[in-house]
Amino acid sequence: MTNKTAHRRNRKQLTHHLMMMPGMFFLLLFSYIPMVGIVMAFQDFIPAKGIMGSELVGLKHFRYMFQLPDIFKIIRNTLVISIGKILLGTFMAIAFSILLNEIRKKFLKKTVQTIVYLPHFLSWVVLASVVVNMFNLDGSVNQIVTQLGFDKINFLGNSKIFPGLIIGTDVWKEFGYSSVIYLAAITAIDPGLHEAASIDGASWWKRIWNVTLPGMMPIILLMAAMSLTSILSAGFDQIYNLYTPIVYDTGDVLDTYVYRIGLIGRQYSFGSAVGLLRSIVGMVLLVSANKLTKKLTDQKIF
Amino acid sequence: MRKKVIVKGLVVTLITSLMTISLVACGSGNKKEETTKESSQVNIEAGQQKGGAYEEEVTITLGRQTLQNAKLPDGDTYEDNAYTRLVKDVYNIKLVDEFEASGDDYGRQVSLALSAGEIPDMMKVATYDELKELYENDMIADLSGVYEDYASDYLKSIYDSYEGRALDKVTFDGKMMALPGTNVDAGPSEVWIRSDWMETLGIQVDQDGNHAITIEELEMVASKFKEANLNQAENVVGMAFAPWLTSGDPDGTYSMNSIAYALGAFPKTWLESDGKVVYGSTAPEMKEALSVISKWFEEGLVDPQLGTRTWDDISALLSNGQTGITFGTWHIPDWLLNNVRVMDPNATFEAYGIENAQGEVSCKHNDAVAGYIVVSKECKNPEAAIKIANLFYDTLVTSNTIEKDYPEVATYIANGVDGSTRPFNIEVNLYTSLLDDYSDVEKFVSGDISIDEVRTTESKNVSSSIQKYLENPTGAEVVDWSKYHSRMKGIELIQTFTENATFNWITPIFPQTTTTMETNQANLDKLEEETFIKIAIGQIDAEEGFNEFVKEWNKLGGKQIIAEIEEQLK
Amino acid sequence: MIENRSFSSRARVSIIYCIVILLGLVCLLPLWNIVAISFSSSAAVTANKVGLAPVDFTTVAYKKIIEDSQFWRSFMISVVRVILAVILNTVLVVLMAYPLTKSTREFRGRNLYMNLLIFAMLFNGGMIPSFILVKELGLLNSIWALVLPGALPIFNVILVMNFFLGIPKSLEEAAIIDGANPLQVLIKILVPCAKPCIATIVLFSIVGSWNDFFSGLIYIQKPRNYPIMTYIQSLNVDIQELLKSGMSSSSLGNLSELSNKNLNAAKIVVAVIPLLLIYPILQKYLITGIVMGSVKE
Repeated sequence: MTNKTAHRRNRKQLTHHLMMMPGMFFLLLFSYIPMVGIVMAFQDFIPAKGIMGSELVGLKHFRYMFQLPDIFKIIRNTLVISIGKILLGTFMAIAFSILLNEIRKKFLKKTVQTIVYLPHFLSWVVLASVVVNMFNLDGSVNQIVTQLGFDKINFLGNSKIFPGLIIGTDVWKEFGYSSVIYLAAITAIDPGLHEAASIDGASWWKRIWNVTLPGMMPIILLMAAMSLTSILSAGFDQIYNLYTPIVYDTGDVLDTYVYRIGLIGRQYSFGSAVGLLRSIVGMVLLVSANKLTKKLTDQKIF
Repeated sequence: MRKKVIVKGLVVTLITSLMTISLVACGSGNKKEETTKESSQVNIEAGQQKGGAYEEEVTITLGRQTLQNAKLPDGDTYEDNAYTRLVKDVYNIKLVDEFEASGDDYGRQVSLALSAGEIPDMMKVATYDELKELYENDMIADLSGVYEDYASDYLKSIYDSYEGRALDKVTFDGKMMALPGTNVDAGPSEVWIRSDWMETLGIQVDQDGNHAITIEELEMVASKFKEANLNQAENVVGMAFAPWLTSGDPDGTYSMNSIAYALGAFPKTWLESDGKVVYGSTAPEMKEALSVISKWFEEGLVDPQLGTRTWDDISALLSNGQTGITFGTWHIPDWLLNNVRVMDPNATFEAYGIENAQGEVSCKHNDAVAGYIVVSKECKNPEAAIKIANLFYDTLVTSNTIEKDYPEVATYIANGVDGSTRPFNIEVNLYTSLLDDYSDVEKFVSGDISIDEVRTTESKNVSSSIQKYLENPTGAEVVDWSKYHSRMKGIELIQTFTENATFNWITPIFPQTTTTMETNQANLDKLEEETFIKIAIGQIDAEEGFNEFVKEWNKLGGKQIIAEIEEQLK
Repeated sequence: MIENRSFSSRARVSIIYCIVILLGLVCLLPLWNIVAISFSSSAAVTANKVGLAPVDFTTVAYKKIIEDSQFWRSFMISVVRVILAVILNTVLVVLMAYPLTKSTREFRGRNLYMNLLIFAMLFNGGMIPSFILVKELGLLNSIWALVLPGALPIFNVILVMNFFLGIPKSLEEAAIIDGANPLQVLIKILVPCAKPCIATIVLFSIVGSWNDFFSGLIYIQKPRNYPIMTYIQSLNVDIQELLKSGMSSSSLGNLSELSNKNLNAAKIVVAVIPLLLIYPILQKYLITGIVMGSVKE
């Protein structure tokens, strides 16, 4: 290696570091400095005493969490709902973006795309009343159900159906917005590959299967891995605005439970402990997903 | 540590350069210095001229709980409005808001301020737990002295009218640590029945004329209403209740409280006798009350969607004429039932209590305190808190010449500008204020006094509204209809029950949050709500389900909590 | 692209059209309902009578909004915030994403940076220390409190990095041989190729900072200076909670107006309009990234 190339490489390295600097500055300042707050999970945090003055209690809040009588039911509910949302949501977003990409009429494509991403902007406080009006006993969905000759279904008050309702309505709200990213991924696929496949006489399904999906795969894997990090959050706003004591059996999740506990005596530390647990689980899953993808596809997510 | 300082230095430089083009600058940076400088100068004079204006302007920083849609006139804000200007004029106190937020968001701001170790000179705190925390961490000032010296006789008489229940709550180790907001008894959860329907159907209730009906009569009305379906609505509902069924407040709107109380059950209530504490929701009477609801549910008298019907849904049922019976506090005509009248100009309501076997109407006392004003230990002029309280809870309330003396304030009241725009968002009223105010209205309506003799501006407005309604009941404005119903029906009922000694008053206890409550209460509440609603809709058997609930409740910490409360009471 | 005009392909196309239009309609319903509510009378809304057509048609809600100076103040605060956030986010993200595409051999420290990013994405200290930090920095109640703490959206960094990785190496290598430094490679080669992706993260930034209400609740201590979504969020009043906190009788009359649903609906509609307009504009870039077709690996 000559001196000159070494020098150039060093300069390139330096440029790379410099490019990282502005972002790292904000990262250290606004992400890492506040991380002192993690210690709250191991304290009995009292606002008036502050983070420095509150008493350390070790793993008290974690132990307490796992002693809660309903905790395993609540974790189960959380997992059922969040995994359901991840699976169905990812599938719908991918399927929709592929279908939309087939639309050749530009106006229609643009209009539909704009419309499906709209529900994302409406908060659950607002949407909950729309959902309740649609799914209650006198709602439009039940009118269809009775016209089809079935008995009315109490969607909101039946604990067997409730998780499905939560998953379904969340997918309905979010699939359009999630599809934005997959559409960008599709456009990044080399059209030459499609042409080649067409010339080879591949059917539409084959082209989707052999060209489009593999082309989207890095983004699909990335999105799937990222969604794993929130596996212990089932969506507070949505459930809080739709659940009632009748469906606590299947509808009470970690977030809602923590919220209700927090209402009594403003328990910041318990909230922090649950948050920390959630982060740790998220990290384990994300790192494993990264390792697994590397093993299977020889690509890394990050 | 040093690294952090360097980083901080860097950032501050960066930020200050950015701040010069800041768009939402509020300039809170130099405020603090001003405060200290000014107030220390005035401090000396303050003692000399009690209750009067400070010679040099004093700046007081506040934490204020706001309300959306406070109806402030254009240009006025929480910080700069008729009330804050009045404080400036009268006392030469400049009020500066350190933070403002509404509802729960306010509680968060208070916690954040506490965590950052800096609280404003004066602020409202909503809960006793917060007050206690502030006291225990020595952040708030002892007001005993300034209260004694500065509070007007009338202000003192207000607090005294609660016979210690208000001031005891803010007294720690003999020191008065806050100005408590008072909370008058709101009376029972009244049964509101469409009187126009009763007339059409010729239904007679309350034969003894004591304004209290029996549970059987309620059932009869509900079933006749449902059968007749006068509004020809789809999906008629006899009676509708909110999913949580019971309420800790005696007057709980859309709750089954009135039925439970009539059966001697006091849900979500801590009761004490001879040092023994009982939780009302676990008493056998509660089982009876739930059985009544569950029987009605089975017979179709209670909403088939009980448990999923939200607050808004129930309001809609009423507005649509799908139901003609509801339960709630005396003032629901002002903000809930008014919608019924909008949809149906012929709608009128009659308010009843539900009586027990002895012909009494049980009702429970409220906690005498709602909200607290605390003064920071750092505040140089703690007496200003009392002075402001004198102005708003004595001078302005007792003034007969408010239009002349405080024209701007009078306009505010006439336009319905919300009371939260006053510097302290608490109420400080005589224990008897509800009925006192009403007696003026009543006397005016019955022609005993003229409008000028009605004492407060508020009551004058109400009186003239009611007069307008009575002149033309069907053609009157909705707001007049509302005022008539809330006063001449709602408060009138409380008045009648008080006069005739129909009330059977229960005095509950209001324990502090105990350690087991902190950890287990959420779970116990969940158990209770879940069990009650399932009994009501027949998913579990009342007898077995309730007994099981009581057992579980005790096991999951209830017993422990009771022991802790009993300890508190000793 | 060659289209096979056989019967089956035409049937397929029709089915796809049907599904896509159906999904579009299903997503349109809630917004349609909210628009209908905003044009209906308050009483009709309370009575739950409004479905997809306004009942007692009225534009009174919109008239009120036009006169509502607070609404427009919050609206403008959000506009400024979005502009600042988009610039800052995009520059930081794109700058960071490129070096991270390098292997550790080409860029020592790459993995450390990456791990720092991932860790910060997963863990956070919660609202209290962030509040204290922002307060200590003197940013409280300024627009920078809404922009700076979220200046680096980590997920977007990883997203852009993945897109950059998908761009054929040959393009980059050709430029390097021509003597371009990394910054030039980034700006001249990678950014134009990754237009759809950059349009995507710009969209995410706009949507994210427009929609975020929580930082407003924490860092802005006067409702007058709330950004639009914080303002709208604060309109949802829990009446039951309010009743518990002890109300003055003068407040009672105001209670019914608090749940002024048609007005709130109209505010939501107006607040969503900018997002409705932004998307078609960005869409142009979302579909024009197909430059690298010429270079095959």
